Amino acid sequence: MRAAGVIAGAIFSVGGAAPAAAQRALVVAPLASLAEHRVDAGFGLERSLGPILGGVATLRSGPRFALAVRALGGRLFGSKGVLDRDVGELGVEASVVTAPWLAFQAGAARRAYATKLGRQTWNMVGLGATARTAFAGDAIHGVWRAALLPVVSVSGLRNPDVAYRTAAGLEYRVRTATLGVEYSLERYDFPAQAGVRRREQLAAVTLRLDVRVR
Amino acid sequence: MRRLAWAVVLAAGVAPALAAQGSTAELLGQAHQLYERLEVERALPLLRQIVSPNWPFEVTRDQRVDAYKYLGACLAVAGKRDSAVLYFRAAIERDPFTDLDPSRFTPAQLETFGEARRRTLAVAIRPVQPARVDPRTARVTFIVVATHAALVDVKLSAIGAGRPLSLFQGTMDGVREIAWDGLLADRRLVPPGRYMLAVVGRSRVTGASDSARVYFDVRHEVEAREDTLPELDGRMLLPERISAEAARRDVAKGLGVAAAALLIAGAATGDLGGGERGGADVVAATAAVSGLVAFLVHRRHGAIPENVAANARHRAERDSANASVRARNADRIAATLLLLSPAAGEGTGP
Repeated sequence: MRAAGVIAGAIFSVGGAAPAAAQRALVVAPLASLAEHRVDAGFGLERSLGPILGGVATLRSGPRFALAVRALGGRLFGSKGVLDRDVGELGVEASVVTAPWLAFQAGAARRAYATKLGRQTWNMVGLGATARTAFAGDAIHGVWRAALLPVVSVSGLRNPDVAYRTAAGLEYRVRTATLGVEYSLERYDFPAQAGVRRREQLAAVTLRLDVRVR
Repeated sequence: MRRLAWAVVLAAGVAPALAAQGSTAELLGQAHQLYERLEVERALPLLRQIVSPNWPFEVTRDQRVDAYKYLGACLAVAGKRDSAVLYFRAAIERDPFTDLDPSRFTPAQLETFGEARRRTLAVAIRPVQPARVDPRTARVTFIVVATHAALVDVKLSAIGAGRPLSLFQGTMDGVREIAWDGLLADRRLVPPGRYMLAVVGRSRVTGASDSARVYFDVRHEVEAREDTLPELDGRMLLPERISAEAARRDVAKGLGVAAAALLIAGAATGDLGGGERGGADVVAATAAVSGLVAFLVHRRHGAIPENVAANARHRAERDSANASVRARNADRIAATLLLLSPAAGEGTGP
Protein backbone atom coordinates (compact mmCIF):
# COMPACT_ATOMS: atom_id res chain seq x y z
CA MET A 1 0.00 0.00 0.00
CA ARG A 2 2.84 2.31 0.74
CA ALA A 3 4.32 1.69 -2.71
CA ALA A 4 0.95 2.41 -4.26
CA GLY A 5 0.82 5.68 -2.40
CA VAL A 6 4.26 6.66 -3.63
CA ILE A 7 3.40 5.89 -7.23
CA ALA A 8 0.06 7.62 -7.04
CA GLY A 9 1.69 10.67 -5.51
CA ALA A 10 4.31 10.74 -8.21
CA ILE A 11 1.69 10.40 -10.93
CA PHE A 12 -0.48 13.16 -9.61
CA SER A 13 2.39 15.51 -8.82
CA VAL A 14 3.94 15.11 -12.25
CA GLY A 15 0.61 15.15 -14.01
CA GLY A 16 -0.38 18.31 -12.22
CA ALA A 17 2.86 20.04 -13.08
CA ALA A 18 2.68 19.20 -16.75
CA PRO A 19 1.36 22.01 -18.89
CA ALA A 20 -2.07 21.22 -20.18
CA ALA A 21 -2.18 19.81 -23.67
CA ALA A 22 1.56 20.13 -23.96
CA GLN A 23 3.27 17.42 -25.98
CA ARG A 24 0.18 15.20 -25.97
CA ALA A 25 0.56 12.21 -28.24
CA LEU A 26 -1.37 9.06 -29.05
CA VAL A 27 0.58 5.90 -29.77
CA VAL A 28 -1.01 2.67 -30.91
CA ALA A 29 0.86 -0.59 -30.81
CA PRO A 30 -0.36 -3.81 -32.38
CA LEU A 31 1.31 -6.79 -30.79
CA ALA A 32 1.68 -10.47 -31.33
CA SER A 33 2.83 -12.96 -28.74
CA LEU A 34 3.65 -16.59 -28.63
CA ALA A 35 2.58 -17.56 -25.13
CA GLU A 36 3.04 -20.67 -23.11
CA HIS A 37 0.81 -21.32 -20.12
CA ARG A 38 1.90 -23.85 -17.50
CA VAL A 39 -0.14 -24.84 -14.53
CA ASP A 40 0.40 -27.48 -11.89
CA ALA A 41 -2.65 -27.96 -9.68
CA GLY A 42 -1.46 -31.17 -8.14
CA PHE A 43 -2.50 -33.41 -11.01
CA GLY A 44 0.65 -33.04 -13.06
CA LEU A 45 1.88 -30.28 -15.30
CA GLU A 46 -0.55 -28.95 -17.89
CA ARG A 47 1.01 -27.07 -20.75
CA SER A 48 -0.64 -25.04 -23.47
CA LEU A 49 0.95 -22.91 -26.15
CA GLY A 50 -0.46 -20.49 -28.69
CA PRO A 51 -0.62 -17.06 -30.24
CA ILE A 52 -2.05 -14.01 -28.60
CA LEU A 53 -2.85 -10.92 -30.63
CA GLY A 54 -3.83 -7.53 -29.42
CA GLY A 55 -3.04 -3.92 -29.18
CA VAL A 56 -2.14 -1.14 -26.82
CA ALA A 57 -3.22 2.46 -27.10
CA THR A 58 -1.07 4.90 -25.13
CA LEU A 59 -1.91 8.51 -24.53
CA ARG A 60 1.21 10.45 -23.58
CA SER A 61 0.72 13.72 -21.77
CA GLY A 62 4.02 15.51 -21.68
CA PRO A 63 7.34 13.76 -21.62
CA ARG A 64 6.69 11.95 -18.33
CA PHE A 65 3.12 10.80 -18.01
CA ALA A 66 1.31 8.13 -20.03
CA LEU A 67 -1.90 6.19 -19.77
CA ALA A 68 -2.23 2.93 -21.68
CA VAL A 69 -5.16 0.67 -22.42
CA ARG A 70 -4.58 -2.82 -23.78
CA ALA A 71 -6.77 -5.54 -25.21
CA LEU A 72 -5.45 -9.02 -25.97
CA GLY A 73 -6.95 -12.25 -27.13
CA GLY A 74 -5.77 -15.61 -28.34
CA ARG A 75 -6.00 -19.33 -28.18
CA LEU A 76 -3.67 -21.60 -26.26
CA PHE A 77 -3.51 -25.11 -27.60
CA GLY A 78 -3.14 -27.75 -24.93
CA SER A 79 -0.50 -30.41 -25.02
CA LYS A 80 -1.45 -34.05 -24.91
CA GLY A 81 -4.50 -34.52 -22.68
CA VAL A 82 -4.85 -30.82 -21.93
CA LEU A 83 -7.87 -28.84 -23.04
CA ASP A 84 -7.40 -25.94 -25.42
CA ARG A 85 -8.27 -22.64 -23.85
CA ASP A 86 -9.13 -19.18 -25.09
CA VAL A 87 -7.61 -16.24 -23.31
CA GLY A 88 -8.64 -12.61 -23.33
CA GLU A 89 -7.47 -9.63 -21.37
CA LEU A 90 -8.36 -5.97 -20.85
CA GLY A 91 -6.01 -3.77 -18.92
CA VAL A 92 -5.19 -0.21 -18.06
CA GLU A 93 -1.87 1.14 -16.86
CA ALA A 94 -0.57 4.53 -15.83
CA SER A 95 3.10 5.29 -16.15
CA VAL A 96 5.29 8.07 -14.91
CA VAL A 97 8.90 8.66 -15.88
CA THR A 98 10.95 9.67 -12.85
CA ALA A 99 14.36 9.59 -14.48
CA PRO A 100 15.51 9.29 -18.08
CA TRP A 101 16.13 5.60 -17.48
CA LEU A 102 13.35 4.74 -15.02
CA ALA A 103 9.55 4.74 -15.07
CA PHE A 104 7.03 3.46 -12.57
CA GLN A 105 3.73 1.87 -13.47
CA ALA A 106 0.49 1.12 -11.74
CA GLY A 107 -2.23 -0.81 -13.46
CA ALA A 108 -5.14 -3.15 -13.32
CA ALA A 109 -6.24 -5.93 -15.64
CA ARG A 110 -9.02 -8.43 -16.06
CA ARG A 111 -8.17 -11.71 -17.76
CA ALA A 112 -10.36 -14.65 -18.64
CA TYR A 113 -9.51 -18.23 -19.56
CA ALA A 114 -12.25 -20.26 -21.20
CA THR A 115 -12.33 -23.95 -22.00
CA LYS A 116 -15.05 -26.24 -23.10
CA LEU A 117 -15.69 -27.00 -19.47
CA GLY A 118 -15.78 -23.60 -17.92
CA ARG A 119 -14.50 -20.11 -17.56
CA GLN A 120 -12.09 -18.58 -15.08
CA THR A 121 -11.59 -14.85 -14.54
CA TRP A 122 -8.61 -13.13 -13.04
CA ASN A 123 -8.52 -9.60 -11.66
CA MET A 124 -5.06 -8.19 -11.11
CA VAL A 125 -3.57 -4.98 -9.77
CA GLY A 126 0.11 -4.44 -10.39
CA LEU A 127 2.82 -2.02 -9.35
CA GLY A 128 6.04 -2.06 -11.24
CA ALA A 129 9.02 -0.35 -12.73
CA THR A 130 10.68 -0.25 -16.13
CA ALA A 131 14.34 0.51 -16.65
CA ARG A 132 15.65 1.48 -20.05
CA THR A 133 19.12 2.02 -21.33
CA ALA A 134 19.91 3.54 -24.68
CA PHE A 135 22.51 1.94 -26.82
CA ALA A 136 24.92 4.40 -28.40
CA GLY A 137 23.07 6.45 -30.94
CA ASP A 138 19.77 6.20 -29.09
CA ALA A 139 18.22 4.01 -31.80
CA ILE A 140 18.10 0.93 -29.59
CA HIS A 141 16.95 0.65 -26.03
CA GLY A 142 17.36 -2.25 -23.69
CA VAL A 143 14.30 -2.72 -21.49
CA TRP A 144 13.90 -4.46 -18.16
CA ARG A 145 10.54 -4.70 -16.41
CA ALA A 146 9.45 -6.01 -13.07
CA ALA A 147 6.11 -5.76 -11.33
CA LEU A 148 4.54 -7.10 -8.22
CA LEU A 149 0.89 -8.12 -8.37
CA PRO A 150 -0.19 -7.54 -4.81
CA VAL A 151 -3.86 -7.92 -5.58
CA VAL A 152 -4.88 -10.93 -7.65
CA SER A 153 -8.26 -12.56 -7.40
CA VAL A 154 -9.09 -15.68 -9.37
CA SER A 155 -12.57 -17.10 -9.60
CA GLY A 156 -12.84 -20.37 -7.76
CA LEU A 157 -9.43 -20.05 -6.14
CA ARG A 158 -7.86 -18.39 -3.14
CA ASN A 159 -5.67 -15.45 -3.89
CA PRO A 160 -2.05 -16.33 -4.72
CA ASP A 161 0.69 -15.79 -2.14
CA VAL A 162 3.22 -14.80 -4.73
CA ALA A 163 2.48 -13.04 -7.98
CA TYR A 164 4.88 -11.15 -10.15
CA ARG A 165 5.62 -10.31 -13.72
CA THR A 166 9.07 -9.71 -15.20
CA ALA A 167 10.41 -9.11 -18.68
CA ALA A 168 13.47 -8.20 -20.70
CA GLY A 169 13.75 -7.03 -24.25
CA LEU A 170 14.81 -4.53 -26.83
CA GLU A 171 13.21 -1.59 -28.59
CA TYR A 172 14.37 -0.50 -32.02
CA ARG A 173 13.41 2.98 -33.10
CA VAL A 174 12.89 3.41 -36.82
CA ARG A 175 11.93 6.99 -37.60
CA THR A 176 8.63 7.56 -35.77
CA ALA A 177 7.93 3.88 -35.11
CA THR A 178 9.39 1.65 -32.44
CA LEU A 179 9.68 -2.12 -32.80
CA GLY A 180 9.90 -4.01 -29.56
CA VAL A 181 10.79 -7.63 -28.87
CA GLU A 182 10.41 -8.92 -25.33
CA TYR A 183 10.49 -12.06 -23.28
CA SER A 184 8.10 -11.95 -20.30
CA LEU A 185 7.06 -14.21 -17.51
CA GLU A 186 4.18 -14.12 -15.05
CA ARG A 187 4.32 -16.33 -12.02
CA TYR A 188 1.54 -17.15 -9.52
CA ASP A 189 1.96 -19.38 -6.44
CA PHE A 190 -1.31 -20.16 -4.72
CA PRO A 191 -1.63 -21.22 -1.10
CA ALA A 192 -1.87 -24.94 -0.50
CA GLN A 193 -5.36 -26.41 -0.29
CA ALA A 194 -5.78 -29.89 1.00
CA GLY A 195 -2.06 -30.37 0.80
CA VAL A 196 -1.94 -29.36 -2.84
CA ARG A 197 -0.16 -26.23 -3.93
CA ARG A 198 -1.23 -24.71 -7.27
CA ARG A 199 1.40 -22.98 -9.39
CA GLU A 200 0.88 -21.17 -12.66
CA GLN A 201 3.05 -19.26 -15.07
CA LEU A 202 2.53 -17.52 -18.37
CA ALA A 203 5.64 -16.98 -20.47
CA ALA A 204 5.57 -15.12 -23.78
CA VAL A 205 7.70 -13.74 -26.53
CA THR A 206 6.09 -10.59 -27.83
CA LEU A 207 6.64 -8.48 -30.90
CA ARG A 208 5.18 -5.01 -30.65
CA LEU A 209 5.19 -2.07 -33.05
CA ASP A 210 4.54 1.37 -31.56
CA VAL A 211 3.27 3.91 -34.08
CA ARG A 212 2.54 7.47 -33.18
CA VAL A 213 -0.75 8.46 -34.76
CA ARG A 214 -1.29 11.93 -33.26
CA MET B 1 33.97 95.25 9.60
CA ARG B 2 36.27 92.61 8.21
CA ARG B 3 33.64 91.69 5.63
CA LEU B 4 33.36 95.27 4.56
CA ALA B 5 37.11 95.48 4.11
CA TRP B 6 37.13 92.38 1.92
CA ALA B 7 34.29 93.78 -0.17
CA VAL B 8 36.23 97.01 -0.77
CA VAL B 9 39.36 95.10 -1.78
CA LEU B 10 37.35 92.88 -4.14
CA ALA B 11 35.57 95.84 -5.69
CA ALA B 12 38.90 97.63 -6.23
CA GLY B 13 40.29 94.60 -8.09
CA VAL B 14 37.29 94.05 -10.36
CA ALA B 15 36.46 97.65 -11.06
CA PRO B 16 39.32 98.54 -13.50
CA ALA B 17 38.43 95.69 -15.92
CA LEU B 18 34.75 96.66 -15.91
CA ALA B 19 35.70 100.29 -16.33
CA ALA B 20 37.98 99.46 -19.26
CA GLN B 21 35.22 97.59 -21.07
CA GLY B 22 32.80 100.36 -20.17
CA SER B 23 35.18 103.09 -21.38
CA THR B 24 35.71 101.53 -24.83
CA ALA B 25 32.04 100.66 -25.23
CA GLU B 26 31.05 104.07 -23.94
CA LEU B 27 33.35 105.88 -26.32
CA LEU B 28 32.22 103.70 -29.22
CA GLY B 29 28.60 104.46 -28.29
CA GLN B 30 29.31 108.17 -28.29
CA ALA B 31 30.99 107.86 -31.69
CA HIS B 32 27.95 106.04 -33.05
CA GLN B 33 25.65 108.78 -31.78
CA LEU B 34 27.80 111.50 -33.29
CA TYR B 35 27.90 109.63 -36.59
CA GLU B 36 24.13 109.23 -36.54
CA ARG B 37 23.82 112.99 -36.01
CA LEU B 38 26.25 113.45 -38.95
CA GLU B 39 28.78 115.05 -36.61
CA VAL B 40 31.50 113.14 -38.39
CA GLU B 41 34.30 115.55 -37.43
CA ARG B 42 33.53 114.97 -33.75
CA ALA B 43 33.13 111.22 -34.14
CA LEU B 44 36.48 110.72 -35.87
CA PRO B 45 38.76 111.57 -32.92
CA LEU B 46 36.80 109.27 -30.65
CA LEU B 47 37.14 106.37 -33.08
CA ARG B 48 40.85 107.10 -33.62
CA GLN B 49 41.36 107.00 -29.88
CA ILE B 50 39.90 103.50 -29.75
CA VAL B 51 42.16 102.10 -32.48
CA SER B 52 45.20 103.98 -31.21
CA PRO B 53 47.95 101.83 -29.65
CA ASN B 54 47.97 104.35 -26.83
CA TRP B 55 44.36 103.71 -25.86
CA PRO B 56 44.76 102.42 -22.30
CA PHE B 57 41.66 100.31 -22.11
CA GLU B 58 40.90 96.88 -23.40
CA VAL B 59 39.39 96.73 -26.89
CA THR B 60 37.69 93.60 -28.08
CA ARG B 61 38.11 92.34 -31.62
CA ASP B 62 34.54 93.23 -32.48
CA GLN B 63 34.93 96.71 -31.00
CA ARG B 64 38.10 97.28 -32.98
CA VAL B 65 36.47 96.06 -36.18
CA ASP B 66 33.47 98.29 -35.49
CA ALA B 67 35.73 101.27 -34.86
CA TYR B 68 37.61 100.73 -38.13
CA LYS B 69 34.34 100.32 -39.99
CA TYR B 70 32.93 103.60 -38.66
CA LEU B 71 36.23 105.33 -39.26
CA GLY B 72 35.98 104.24 -42.88
CA ALA B 73 32.35 105.32 -43.04
CA CYS B 74 33.10 108.75 -41.52
CA LEU B 75 36.05 109.34 -43.84
CA ALA B 76 33.97 108.28 -46.84
CA VAL B 77 31.35 110.86 -45.87
CA ALA B 78 34.13 113.39 -45.43
CA GLY B 79 35.32 112.72 -48.95
CA LYS B 80 38.59 111.10 -47.89
CA ARG B 81 38.17 108.02 -50.02
CA ASP B 82 41.70 106.59 -49.82
CA SER B 83 41.76 106.83 -46.04
CA ALA B 84 38.28 105.37 -45.91
CA VAL B 85 39.40 102.42 -48.01
CA LEU B 86 42.37 101.95 -45.74
CA TYR B 87 40.23 101.73 -42.61
CA PHE B 88 37.62 99.55 -44.27
CA ARG B 89 40.43 97.18 -45.29
CA ALA B 90 41.67 97.13 -41.70
CA ALA B 91 38.19 96.10 -40.62
CA ILE B 92 37.92 93.45 -43.33
CA GLU B 93 41.32 91.99 -42.57
CA ARG B 94 40.38 91.58 -38.95
CA ASP B 95 36.96 90.19 -39.69
CA PRO B 96 36.32 89.07 -43.27
CA PHE B 97 32.59 88.74 -42.39
CA THR B 98 32.42 92.54 -41.90
CA ASP B 99 29.76 94.15 -44.04
CA LEU B 100 27.85 97.39 -44.34
CA ASP B 101 24.08 97.47 -43.96
CA PRO B 102 22.75 99.14 -47.16
CA SER B 103 19.85 100.61 -45.17
CA ARG B 104 22.18 102.47 -42.82
CA PHE B 105 25.05 103.55 -45.09
CA THR B 106 25.09 105.67 -48.20
CA PRO B 107 25.82 104.37 -51.67
CA ALA B 108 29.15 106.21 -51.63
CA GLN B 109 30.12 104.45 -48.42
CA LEU B 110 29.01 101.13 -49.83
CA GLU B 111 30.98 101.75 -53.00
CA THR B 112 34.08 102.65 -50.97
CA PHE B 113 33.61 99.55 -48.83
CA GLY B 114 33.32 97.47 -51.99
CA GLU B 115 36.60 98.96 -53.21
CA ALA B 116 38.22 97.94 -49.93
CA ARG B 117 36.90 94.40 -50.37
CA ARG B 118 38.24 94.22 -53.92
CA ARG B 119 41.67 95.23 -52.71
CA THR B 120 41.75 92.83 -49.79
CA LEU B 121 41.53 89.09 -50.01
CA ALA B 122 40.53 87.46 -46.78
CA VAL B 123 38.85 84.10 -46.25
CA ALA B 124 37.29 82.95 -43.00
CA ILE B 125 35.08 80.35 -41.43
CA ARG B 126 32.56 81.07 -38.75
CA PRO B 127 33.38 79.15 -35.55
CA VAL B 128 31.41 75.91 -35.29
CA GLN B 129 28.49 76.26 -32.95
CA PRO B 130 27.55 73.48 -30.52
CA ALA B 131 25.00 71.33 -32.30
CA ARG B 132 23.25 67.95 -32.15
CA VAL B 133 22.71 66.66 -35.65
CA ASP B 134 20.96 63.57 -36.98
CA PRO B 135 22.93 62.88 -40.16
CA ARG B 136 20.02 60.89 -41.62
CA THR B 137 17.79 63.93 -41.78
CA ALA B 138 19.93 67.01 -41.24
CA ARG B 139 23.22 68.50 -42.31
CA VAL B 140 25.99 70.31 -40.51
CA THR B 141 26.33 73.80 -41.95
CA PHE B 142 29.63 75.66 -42.15
CA ILE B 143 29.69 79.32 -43.16
CA VAL B 144 32.65 80.45 -45.21
CA VAL B 145 33.44 83.87 -46.63
CA ALA B 146 35.75 85.25 -49.28
CA THR B 147 35.92 89.01 -49.45
CA HIS B 148 35.98 89.01 -53.23
CA ALA B 149 36.01 86.55 -56.12
CA ALA B 150 38.48 83.85 -55.28
CA LEU B 151 39.21 80.24 -56.00
CA VAL B 152 38.41 78.59 -52.69
CA ASP B 153 39.13 75.12 -51.36
CA VAL B 154 37.38 74.02 -48.17
CA LYS B 155 38.67 70.82 -46.63
CA LEU B 156 37.73 68.82 -43.57
CA SER B 157 40.30 66.58 -41.94
CA ALA B 158 40.67 64.54 -38.80
CA ILE B 159 43.51 65.68 -36.61
CA GLY B 160 46.41 63.30 -37.00
CA ALA B 161 44.77 60.82 -39.34
CA GLY B 162 42.99 60.29 -42.57
CA ARG B 163 42.74 61.85 -45.96
CA PRO B 164 41.07 65.27 -45.98
CA LEU B 165 37.58 65.51 -47.36
CA SER B 166 37.00 68.31 -49.84
CA LEU B 167 33.72 70.02 -48.99
CA PHE B 168 33.95 72.79 -51.58
CA GLN B 169 36.26 73.68 -54.39
CA GLY B 170 35.42 76.51 -56.72
CA THR B 171 35.01 80.21 -57.14
CA MET B 172 33.08 82.19 -54.58
CA ASP B 173 32.56 85.79 -53.68
CA GLY B 174 31.06 86.69 -50.34
CA VAL B 175 29.42 84.43 -47.81
CA ARG B 176 28.59 80.83 -48.62
CA GLU B 177 26.96 78.08 -46.61
CA ILE B 178 28.52 74.65 -47.01
CA ALA B 179 26.50 71.65 -45.94
CA TRP B 180 28.19 68.50 -44.65
CA ASP B 181 26.38 65.17 -44.37
CA GLY B 182 28.55 63.87 -41.55
CA LEU B 183 30.35 61.36 -43.76
CA LEU B 184 34.03 61.14 -44.60
CA ALA B 185 35.65 60.37 -47.94
CA ASP B 186 35.03 56.62 -47.45
CA ARG B 187 31.29 57.38 -47.08
CA ARG B 188 31.31 56.23 -43.48
CA LEU B 189 29.98 58.22 -40.58
CA VAL B 190 32.63 60.49 -39.17
CA PRO B 191 34.19 58.84 -36.11
CA PRO B 192 34.44 60.70 -32.82
CA GLY B 193 37.49 62.97 -32.57
CA ARG B 194 38.85 66.40 -33.24
CA TYR B 195 38.55 67.85 -36.71
CA MET B 196 39.90 70.82 -38.58
CA LEU B 197 38.00 72.72 -41.21
CA ALA B 198 40.45 74.66 -43.38
CA VAL B 199 39.77 77.16 -46.14
CA VAL B 200 42.36 78.32 -48.62
CA GLY B 201 41.58 81.06 -51.11
CA ARG B 202 43.42 82.57 -54.05
CA SER B 203 42.15 85.89 -55.33
CA ARG B 204 40.97 85.97 -58.90
CA VAL B 205 41.48 89.76 -58.81
CA THR B 206 44.86 90.29 -57.17
CA GLY B 207 46.32 86.79 -57.07
CA ALA B 208 46.77 87.09 -53.33
CA SER B 209 46.19 84.09 -51.07
CA ASP B 210 44.70 83.66 -47.64
CA SER B 211 43.72 80.79 -45.41
CA ALA B 212 41.82 80.16 -42.22
CA ARG B 213 40.92 77.19 -40.09
CA VAL B 214 38.62 76.27 -37.27
CA TYR B 215 38.63 73.27 -35.01
CA PHE B 216 35.77 71.34 -33.60
CA ASP B 217 35.09 68.12 -31.75
CA VAL B 218 32.71 65.38 -32.86
CA ARG B 219 31.13 62.91 -30.47
CA HIS B 220 28.60 60.16 -31.11
CA GLU B 221 25.34 59.76 -29.28
CA VAL B 222 24.32 56.10 -29.71
CA GLU B 223 21.73 54.04 -27.88
CA ALA B 224 23.39 51.26 -25.87
CA ARG B 225 23.99 48.18 -27.99
CA GLU B 226 23.04 44.58 -27.15
CA ASP B 227 25.57 41.83 -26.67
CA THR B 228 25.46 38.91 -29.06
CA LEU B 229 25.13 35.40 -27.71
CA PRO B 230 28.45 33.76 -26.88
CA GLU B 231 30.03 31.02 -28.94
CA LEU B 232 28.62 27.56 -28.25
CA ASP B 233 31.20 25.58 -26.40
CA GLY B 234 31.34 21.86 -25.75
CA ARG B 235 29.15 22.03 -22.66
CA MET B 236 26.30 23.59 -24.60
CA LEU B 237 26.32 21.07 -27.45
CA LEU B 238 25.39 17.43 -27.55
CA PRO B 239 28.10 14.96 -28.51
CA GLU B 240 27.96 14.45 -32.26
CA ARG B 241 30.03 11.29 -32.31
CA ILE B 242 29.87 8.22 -30.17
CA SER B 243 32.97 7.67 -28.17
CA ALA B 244 34.83 4.38 -28.35
CA GLU B 245 33.99 3.78 -24.72
CA ALA B 246 30.27 4.33 -25.36
CA ALA B 247 30.44 1.93 -28.30
CA ARG B 248 32.01 -0.69 -26.06
CA ARG B 249 29.27 -0.18 -23.52
CA ASP B 250 26.75 -1.18 -26.19
CA VAL B 251 28.12 -4.70 -26.08
CA ALA B 252 27.66 -4.78 -22.32
CA LYS B 253 24.12 -3.49 -22.59
CA GLY B 254 23.21 -6.06 -25.20
CA LEU B 255 24.66 -8.79 -23.03
CA GLY B 256 22.78 -7.35 -20.05
CA VAL B 257 19.44 -7.70 -21.81
CA ALA B 258 20.39 -11.20 -22.99
CA ALA B 259 21.37 -12.19 -19.49
CA ALA B 260 18.12 -10.84 -18.08
CA ALA B 261 16.04 -12.83 -20.59
CA LEU B 262 17.94 -16.02 -19.84
CA LEU B 263 17.74 -15.39 -16.11
CA ILE B 264 13.99 -14.96 -16.25
CA ALA B 265 13.60 -18.09 -18.33
CA GLY B 266 15.93 -19.91 -15.95
CA ALA B 267 13.78 -18.95 -13.02
CA ALA B 268 10.81 -20.38 -14.86
CA THR B 269 12.46 -23.66 -15.52
CA GLY B 270 12.41 -24.58 -11.86
CA ASP B 271 9.40 -26.38 -10.51
CA LEU B 272 7.26 -25.95 -13.63
CA GLY B 273 9.88 -27.30 -15.99
CA GLY B 274 10.46 -24.40 -18.31
CA GLY B 275 8.62 -21.52 -19.80
CA GLU B 276 9.00 -20.64 -23.45
CA ARG B 277 12.72 -21.15 -23.13
CA GLY B 278 13.18 -20.95 -26.87
CA GLY B 279 11.63 -17.47 -26.89
CA ALA B 280 14.03 -16.34 -24.19
CA ASP B 281 16.91 -17.67 -26.24
CA VAL B 282 15.72 -15.74 -29.28
CA VAL B 283 15.41 -12.51 -27.32
CA ALA B 284 18.82 -13.09 -25.69
CA ALA B 285 20.48 -13.77 -29.02
CA THR B 286 18.82 -10.72 -30.55
CA ALA B 287 20.03 -8.53 -27.70
CA ALA B 288 23.58 -9.83 -27.85
CA VAL B 289 23.77 -9.42 -31.62
CA SER B 290 22.24 -5.94 -31.39
CA GLY B 291 24.87 -4.88 -28.90
CA LEU B 292 27.64 -6.26 -31.04
CA VAL B 293 26.31 -4.70 -34.23
CA ALA B 294 25.82 -1.37 -32.48
CA PHE B 295 29.42 -1.55 -31.30
CA LEU B 296 30.74 -2.32 -34.77
CA VAL B 297 28.60 0.26 -36.54
CA HIS B 298 29.31 2.99 -34.07
CA ARG B 299 33.02 2.27 -34.02
CA ARG B 300 33.08 2.72 -37.79
CA HIS B 301 30.49 5.50 -38.25
CA GLY B 302 30.30 7.16 -34.89
CA ALA B 303 28.02 10.01 -35.90
CA ILE B 304 24.83 10.61 -33.92
CA PRO B 305 22.46 12.13 -36.51
CA GLU B 306 19.92 13.28 -33.91
CA ASN B 307 22.58 15.14 -31.97
CA VAL B 308 24.12 16.54 -35.14
CA ALA B 309 20.68 17.81 -36.15
CA ALA B 310 19.97 19.16 -32.65
CA ASN B 311 23.32 20.95 -32.55
CA ALA B 312 22.76 22.34 -36.03
CA ARG B 313 19.35 23.57 -34.87
CA HIS B 314 20.94 25.08 -31.77
CA ARG B 315 23.61 26.80 -33.84
CA ALA B 316 21.03 28.08 -36.30
CA GLU B 317 18.93 29.48 -33.47
CA ARG B 318 21.99 31.17 -32.02
CA ASP B 319 23.00 32.54 -35.42
CA SER B 320 19.48 33.78 -35.98
CA ALA B 321 19.38 35.45 -32.57
CA ASN B 322 22.77 37.04 -33.20
CA ALA B 323 21.66 38.22 -36.62
CA SER B 324 18.68 39.90 -34.97
CA VAL B 325 20.93 41.48 -32.35
CA ARG B 326 23.29 42.69 -35.05
CA ALA B 327 20.39 44.08 -37.05
CA ARG B 328 19.07 45.93 -34.01
CA ASN B 329 22.56 47.20 -33.23
CA ALA B 330 23.00 48.27 -36.85
CA ASP B 331 19.73 50.19 -36.58
CA ARG B 332 20.98 51.88 -33.45
CA ILE B 333 24.30 52.70 -35.06
CA ALA B 334 22.49 54.02 -38.10
CA ALA B 335 20.57 56.31 -35.77
CA THR B 336 23.79 57.76 -34.34
CA LEU B 337 23.58 61.46 -33.60
CA LEU B 338 26.57 63.75 -34.04
CA LEU B 339 27.39 66.13 -31.23
CA LEU B 340 29.53 69.03 -32.42
CA SER B 341 31.34 71.49 -30.21
CA PRO B 342 33.98 74.10 -30.97
CA ALA B 343 37.58 73.38 -30.06
CA ALA B 344 40.62 75.60 -29.59
CA GLY B 345 43.19 73.86 -31.71
CA GLU B 346 44.82 70.59 -32.53
CA GLY B 347 44.60 68.05 -29.77
CA THR B 348 43.36 64.62 -28.98
CA GLY B 349 39.71 65.58 -28.99
CA PRO B 350 37.00 64.21 -26.76
